[in-house]
Amino acid sequence: MKPHGLSLALSSGDPLWFGIVLLTLAALIGWGVAFSTLRRLRYVRGCLTAQQEVMQNNRDEELPELPIDGFPGAVLLLDTLGALIQANREAVSQFGDSIGAILRHPAARGALSAALRAEAHAPEGTPPVCSTTFTLDVPIKRTMFLALRHIPSSKRLNDRILVVLTDRSEAHALDRMRIDFVTHASHELRTPLASLSGFIDALRNGGASTDDAVRQQFLDVMAQQSARMKRLIDRLLYLSRVQAHEHQKPQNVVEVSDLMALVLDEVAPRFEGEGYALNFDIEDDLFIHADEDELVQVMLNLIENALRYGKHDDKTLTVTLLARRAIEQDDRWPTEGGVVLSVKDDGRGMEAHHLPRLAERFYRVVNAEQAKRAQGSGLGLSIVRHIIDRHQGRMHMASAPNQGTSCLVWLPPSVGDVGADRVSCSVGSASAEDGELAEV
Amino acid sequence: MVDRSHIVKSYEQELGQLRSMVSQMGGIVENQVALALSAIAEKNEEAASSATQQDPAVDALERDVEALAIRLLALRSPMASDLREIVATLKITGDLERIGDYASSIARRSLRIRSANEQITLTGLRSMGRLVQDNLRRSIDAITQQDSSRAMEVWHSDRAVDEYYTALFRELVTYMMEDPRNIRSCTELLFIAKNLERIGDHATNIAERVFYAVTGENLPAVRPRGGIATTENIVDVTDR
Repeated sequence: MKPHGLSLALSSGDPLWFGIVLLTLAALIGWGVAFSTLRRLRYVRGCLTAQQEVMQNNRDEELPELPIDGFPGAVLLLDTLGALIQANREAVSQFGDSIGAILRHPAARGALSAALRAEAHAPEGTPPVCSTTFTLDVPIKRTMFLALRHIPSSKRLNDRILVVLTDRSEAHALDRMRIDFVTHASHELRTPLASLSGFIDALRNGGASTDDAVRQQFLDVMAQQSARMKRLIDRLLYLSRVQAHEHQKPQNVVEVSDLMALVLDEVAPRFEGEGYALNFDIEDDLFIHADEDELVQVMLNLIENALRYGKHDDKTLTVTLLARRAIEQDDRWPTEGGVVLSVKDDGRGMEAHHLPRLAERFYRVVNAEQAKRAQGSGLGLSIVRHIIDRHQGRMHMASAPNQGTSCLVWLPPSVGDVGADRVSCSVGSASAEDGELAEV
Repeated sequence: MVDRSHIVKSYEQELGQLRSMVSQMGGIVENQVALALSAIAEKNEEAASSATQQDPAVDALERDVEALAIRLLALRSPMASDLREIVATLKITGDLERIGDYASSIARRSLRIRSANEQITLTGLRSMGRLVQDNLRRSIDAITQQDSSRAMEVWHSDRAVDEYYTALFRELVTYMMEDPRNIRSCTELLFIAKNLERIGDHATNIAERVFYAVTGENLPAVRPRGGIATTENIVDVTDR
């Protein structure tokens, strides 16, 4: 009876109850469905986020966290095995070709493993810097200073080594140059001496010397060779004299056009022959503090170089001399104002990589046929460099093969210079103190 | 040595490890050659002995590289360029090891040259040394950067090394004929020049192998040879 009673009650008795039961059922089912959907949705969203995180992590692995490109210096980023991950622009432009050789040098490898070990010992705080110095022979001889620091990350795999490269060649070059100087000087003197003593032997032993014409020829060669030796020794003495008073500032005020007149007098005969032409453009009223003789020497040496190394066999060599006020805001020169003297030729020119070394003593742009013909002392530009240093000036050279060479000499403004007032003068002498760092 | 405790045993890591070891070996060998040359040029006995002292390290690295390469071949069965690289690496380490041997032989000989008149050829030897060093540097760069064009550069410039060798040979023989007292020093110098020439050849071998590893093609079996014709066309590429 009871079920019957219930059904009766459901069917007919109380519609309110029936409604409540139905609603409850529907709500239960609906909520279940909604809940499971929601869960599924949340799961999917969770998956998506996780995936994004993974991707993010991956991207972090690939991209270095360190903005080394903006760093003012040569910086490399390595992995823990010492393989290069990134090199900043500075590093590429300064060391581009040598980076591989630098990184695999045993000293660099030693410093790398030292940097990795150091971190293991001191897990807290910043890992220490490990550094090393070594010299590479090729492609150009340079002494490198490397400073390395381990940049740890959460995963060992993503650890980085930050390397700062510095070129320390300058300091080592001084030592090397001193040794080179003695070797080269004696070598340069030996060559003419050998031929001289050869001819002396020939003359002493008679033989060929019976013939007057041959004798004369021998003597001519001997005179030529001894002149060459004398020239070289004169040059060496001159160089050491220039060096001796390099730290005394020149006191005399010189007018540039007077100075150039002396230079032109001196070189004019050299341009009388075929195939050489001389142009000049010299401003008036330029005054500089200078040692007149020395600056004449500078100009003569530069012109001499143009004549000696610039000439193409079949083309006229034009040498142009300029003297003018420096253009305002020319950032090659340390201060405003001043005077620029330049010697420009349209001859052979040379590869740019020779330029930094040109002023080294006895450095020559070696080219077999040229070397044979040109009988330079190899000291001209180092004399020029020392004189310009003494005048607290700057030298700037530019050259490209077959496009000629131009050599600019900047000299600081003098008190008498029109348009240069006291202020710019004092600026001139202040910046002159770091003249040691003069660029070539 | 690279700290081995951190190797993550994944294929990529192992390859990286292999490359790192080869480049380390290259670095040591390069340094050995540099030391040996400065032992000659500057009579630097210290440099000479430290050049010879590095031999065991090179040998050990050669064995390690070989072991790792074989392991990679056995366990990872690499394909295509990876396979070529690993096989080439096996051979390259052999070349590097030989170069190291030649360098220490040069260093040992440098101690035996003594006399007043040997400076006669040192300039030539030094230029040749620089050229060889530069070729070696470029061939090792070619390995680490897997760069076939660098390899080609080396392959072409070995010719100049041969020409230097021929010129030096002629010069030294002249000195020996002039004065028999020179024979001893000149023979040592001759061997040194020969060793340098061999180093140049091995650098070229390396370049050929890198070229193969990168491109999958072999360079012609006949190399550009120098030193048979006249030596007039040698342009001194080095700085004085």
